[in-house]
Amino acid sequence: MDDNTFDPDLIRAIFKLVWGRRALEREKNEGADAVDCEVGVGTSKKIRPTSANSNALKLSCELLRVFISEAVQRAAAIAEAEGVSKIEATHLERILPQLLMDF
Amino acid sequence: MTSASPLQIADDDDGFDWEAAVKEIDVACQSANPLTSLPNYPSSSHFVPLQNNLVDDPDQQVAVDGEDERVSCVGIDVEAAKTWIYPVNVPLREYQLAITKTALFSNTLVALPTGLGKTLIAAVVMYNYFRWFPDGKIVFAAPSRPLVMQQIEACHNIVGIPQEWTIDMTGQLSPTKRACFWKTKRVFFVTPQVLEKDIQAGTCLVKYLVCLVIDEAHRALGNYSYCVAVRELMTVPLQLRILALTATPGSKQQAIQNIISNLHISTLEYRDENDPDVSPYVHNRKIELLEVALGKDAVDINKQLLEVIRPYAARLSAVGLLQNRDYKTFSPPDLLNSRDKFRRAPPPELPQGKYGEIEAYFGGLITLYHIRKLLSSHGIRPAYEMLEEKLKQGPFARLMTKNEDIRKVKLSMQQSLSHGAPSPKLSKMLEVLVDHFKTNDPQNSRVIIFSNFRGSVRDIMDALSNIGDLVKATEFIGQSTGKALKGQSQKVQQAVLECFFAKLYLDKVLLVLACEGSELKGYMRKQANSRAIRKHMHNGGINSFDFHSSPRMIPHVFKPEVQFVKLSIEQYIPRGKKVKDDSAIQTPMFRAKLNADEVALIAKYFEPTSEKSWRPSLIAFPHFQAFPSRVHKVMHSYRTDMLIDTMQYLQNLSFSGESNTFFTEGEIASGKCLGVDTVEKEDNDKDPLIWDESPSTKSQKTVTDSEVSSLKSLRTKEQNVLDPQGQRPAGHSYLFGSEFVSVDAHGKVIILSVPVLPLKEASQTNCTSPSATVLLNCLKPNSCHLKNPGKNYEEQTVQGKSSQDIITSWVQCETSVALAMSKSNLQQETTLDQVEKFPETSVLKKIISNEGDCVGEALNCLEIKVPSLHADEYDNSNELSPRLTNMIQSGFVPESPIDIGLLNGKGRNEFLATDVSPMKLCAELLSKSQSPRKNDIAISSSSCQRDVSISSINNEFHTPILKENNVVRTDGCTSISPAAEETNTPLANLTKNSLSKDWLPSSGDKSENVEQARKFKRLRKIGDVDRNRNPEGNKDKSLAPIANLGRSFSDISPNQIKYCKGKRKLTGNARTFIEEEAEVSSEAEMSDDEKDDSGNSSYDDSFIDDRTNPTAASIQAETSRVDMMAVYRRSLLTQSPIERESNSYITSTPDCGNSVSRRNESKSSSVKTLCSFQTPQPDSANDSARRDTDSFRTTERMSAAMPSITDAGRKETFQQGPAENLDANAEVFHDDQFFEDLDLDAVEAQATLLLKHRSKLSVQKQDVAPKSDAQNFDLQSSPSFDLGIW
Repeated sequence: MDDNTFDPDLIRAIFKLVWGRRALEREKNEGADAVDCEVGVGTSKKIRPTSANSNALKLSCELLRVFISEAVQRAAAIAEAEGVSKIEATHLERILPQLLMDF
Repeated sequence: MTSASPLQIADDDDGFDWEAAVKEIDVACQSANPLTSLPNYPSSSHFVPLQNNLVDDPDQQVAVDGEDERVSCVGIDVEAAKTWIYPVNVPLREYQLAITKTALFSNTLVALPTGLGKTLIAAVVMYNYFRWFPDGKIVFAAPSRPLVMQQIEACHNIVGIPQEWTIDMTGQLSPTKRACFWKTKRVFFVTPQVLEKDIQAGTCLVKYLVCLVIDEAHRALGNYSYCVAVRELMTVPLQLRILALTATPGSKQQAIQNIISNLHISTLEYRDENDPDVSPYVHNRKIELLEVALGKDAVDINKQLLEVIRPYAARLSAVGLLQNRDYKTFSPPDLLNSRDKFRRAPPPELPQGKYGEIEAYFGGLITLYHIRKLLSSHGIRPAYEMLEEKLKQGPFARLMTKNEDIRKVKLSMQQSLSHGAPSPKLSKMLEVLVDHFKTNDPQNSRVIIFSNFRGSVRDIMDALSNIGDLVKATEFIGQSTGKALKGQSQKVQQAVLECFFAKLYLDKVLLVLACEGSELKGYMRKQANSRAIRKHMHNGGINSFDFHSSPRMIPHVFKPEVQFVKLSIEQYIPRGKKVKDDSAIQTPMFRAKLNADEVALIAKYFEPTSEKSWRPSLIAFPHFQAFPSRVHKVMHSYRTDMLIDTMQYLQNLSFSGESNTFFTEGEIASGKCLGVDTVEKEDNDKDPLIWDESPSTKSQKTVTDSEVSSLKSLRTKEQNVLDPQGQRPAGHSYLFGSEFVSVDAHGKVIILSVPVLPLKEASQTNCTSPSATVLLNCLKPNSCHLKNPGKNYEEQTVQGKSSQDIITSWVQCETSVALAMSKSNLQQETTLDQVEKFPETSVLKKIISNEGDCVGEALNCLEIKVPSLHADEYDNSNELSPRLTNMIQSGFVPESPIDIGLLNGKGRNEFLATDVSPMKLCAELLSKSQSPRKNDIAISSSSCQRDVSISSINNEFHTPILKENNVVRTDGCTSISPAAEETNTPLANLTKNSLSKDWLPSSGDKSENVEQARKFKRLRKIGDVDRNRNPEGNKDKSLAPIANLGRSFSDISPNQIKYCKGKRKLTGNARTFIEEEAEVSSEAEMSDDEKDDSGNSSYDDSFIDDRTNPTAASIQAETSRVDMMAVYRRSLLTQSPIERESNSYITSTPDCGNSVSRRNESKSSSVKTLCSFQTPQPDSANDSARRDTDSFRTTERMSAAMPSITDAGRKETFQQGPAENLDANAEVFHDDQFFEDLDLDAVEAQATLLLKHRSKLSVQKQDVAPKSDAQNFDLQSSPSFDLGIW
């Protein structure tokens, strides 16, 4: 594993942001069909905020690093092919579908 | 076993050879039930220094044997049991080795002083049981959580039992989790309570227990969990090694006996520090007593305290409740005893009312004496705090409130404290410490300071902090929740200990132990205990104990020899704890604030509020998704390949068969990996050459088709096809244009260069994806072109060819991805060839080359091929030129090459089908491509050639992969055909030779290059594609191809047919099989000709060419004939389910109108049947061959039964094919299931025919060059060939 991976705290902060939003959405959705959720396994868990242990976080950092570096490299290849020295969003768009399929 | 053992033992008394008997028993036991362990044998006799009294008594042994009729369900690793491992990572100590040896084979109580390596003994025993019993579970029980954690790490560091097998389980783990771990782990470090509970709950799999280590075994008394657990285990019929460890076995004989009884110990291993083998390892210990006088302040305060105490003591003494002695000598325990005495039996003369007063005096005195003790032993501060606390409330406060003396005491204490209250003991301690660290390296020396009063720990800490950096101290106190100082939990204690030993407190660690002074006392007690046990040893010896018997665990057949091994031990990773520490290492750069530019950048894309925030689009650049993007480190996934294929498909909507092709591509892609190996094996140089040839042939075919159409006015459809083909160059250029557009547009040459470049790039990148993309692009255009024609299946001949080519190209592309290098070479060759040839031809060649490349790739990825490819390229160019020239020379000639190509394609298809098993995916793809080729099948000659090559390939592939082939077939004719193509490609090389020969004959130039053969192969590939298409359309691929071939032959020209026949006959003379094949082909051609007038024309042409080729081939080589035979056999094998094939044919007949019609019309079916008959007979040796032959026979029968044979036979064959297809489940892949099924069968049949032709051709070619030899070799190598043909 690369030592230069992302800061786990940063990733955790991002994750928590997303989890928090998800939780909010879920609450909204569950307002409608709360009955189903009650029966579900998650009844007790949904109260708890999602969390990740440190190993999972480390792994996530590495995965994200690989993903992002791959995206940048591929986009760079496109940009290079176009003779541009700066990667633009459009370059990313070109490699994005396949990139997403690869991960 | 157990029944036998007592008998043996009884014999022992009679002088029976004990050892032999034991061996015999063990062997018997082993054979009877390897899992049962042998009856207990007190093997310790020679291991254990202390004689087990059971050992020498045979009767007892028998009894023991009877008792130990326990069946352990744990198997012994026989290999591992030959040795036992003793680690030499740490210096060897003889006593440890000896004790370990004993402990391995009998239940042992090890009494060894602290620090002499009990844990090592336990770890070695555990490790060996871990090795011996692969399924056995080993338990290490230690009485407290910190000990458990300490032992798991210690054990790991000694013998390195893999951590994935170890688990520590304490009461903190929920029982359900523990139950789970009991199942999945093998080495358990537990607390005895956990062990007890889990045994009682049944979650501990006691049946698998082989070894139980009990640490601190001296606690195994009464109803302690150790005893309960062992009792529970002993009630189960269980063989178990028990190893008990203790440093303090107890001071009384009875206590030790209790331990021995409770733990079922059979041997006591006792060492103490004075034993000669142990003493060298005992740490030097020097006890120095330093007497420190009380400080002046303390003395004064002490006096004042005594003043306070005196009146109370006097009062109590007066009533006789205190001993009449100097009140200064009293201590708190004395007072406690006196108070107890008073409470139990108050003096009768004392009135009841006085009791409360007496109690108060006692309480006050106890407190005062306690304070006094604190004062003397720990200094003024603790005493003052105590006094102050007591004075706040409670009886003491009430008693003392009015006491002036106590107030004075308190005052003087305060004064003293205000001066710092220097304790003489503390200053002495500091003095000693400083001295110590002056003489010892602070890095390596550690100090532990014990104190038996919790409160004084802080004083010591304070004192140590005064001497500065020299000492890093931390406190280490017991759990009890003190009032002033909170106790440390076990967790904290553990952490402190860890730090202590890890030198985290770098300089010197001051560990202050305040747990009731237990450590020091414990040490003293230990000394006493060891003295006690030593006394026992001297008095009664070990025999004074009543030992239990214990199983040996390891059958006597195994006499494990000690093996000293230096174990490589991975670093111990504490379970899920340490990571958090790592995360504490912050990367500071994230702490930095963003600068303005970065903020703006983020706002641009991630502004949450603005609706305008940019979102990446996944659909913005669909064209970029039609080919793989360059990758950095992460390769494209299968899903990406699917996406690319789909995008390509979507961007070429006109191609009806695209879906199939896509599937095939995907399959090929997937199959590439699988197929690569096979390809590598078979292909090598030949394959690339073949491929090259095949493309060239394709181009030639296209040319010929066009020519034929014009000349012969073949079917309008065919003409259309030809027209498209003529247009194809442009189309190809377009296709290339997508990637290499400019090149294509400029001219063939440009196109060629372009493909080459992409190929090169691919090769350079090593990523198949780029090459694949290029290929795909090429294929896409091809497919588009083909699709247009392909839409009209009727036009299939031309279209089919084109589509086949496309398909092949697709396949090639996929394969090329795998073998980008080879592909690039192939492509280059093809491009070169094309350049040399006419523009159109070049285009065709390009296509062909693409196909050939694909094939080469499919073949294997052509790593081997690459070099060959270069040569092939040249050859191809040469060949193409000759071919072209030949084509030009005679209108027929061009047609013939085309036909050949078709035939080749068929052959390839067949080959692929045969090969399919290894490269099913490829095969599927190929089959798809083949299906179109089937239409072209008219190129029977080429197909024959293909067959030949295929046959060689098939031989190898088929035998192993018959099932796979079937599967492929079932998957769909297309799938099968691709497989066949792949196989063909390798074979194709061989066939190429033959093809080249064929081409030569067709062109009139028999001497044509081997490259031509390659071209032929390409053509074959194309033909295969066509076949695949046909199968798709018509499931009769094999039949159709055959019929096509026949038709083509007949259509092409009687002369050609005649030639073919003649050639075939020649070959056939050499071998009846060949002849039969030739006949079949001729017949098929005839029938085809009849049926397919216009549409077949192209086929006919191709057939004609093929025939010419075959004729040449036949002339060239009988050896090739052999190959042909092998090919036939292979094809037969592939077709093995003849019935199924017939079925498939039937189904296919309806499906593929053209092919069916042709088939129906053509007598090819009969021909086919003939072929099949012939082949089967020779093939009888091989099962697959037999099957094939059977199928052929059936087909033949069918044909024979039906005059219009072709239809019936085809139908039959088709039916069979579908059945196969069903087996393969290929139907899912192909839209036209019927066709596919039919195609498969048909493809197979065609392939067989083609193989025959090819074989002939190849033989001819072989004469020309060593390639034929290689082909022959291949054929020989292939078992199937050997069976039938040889």
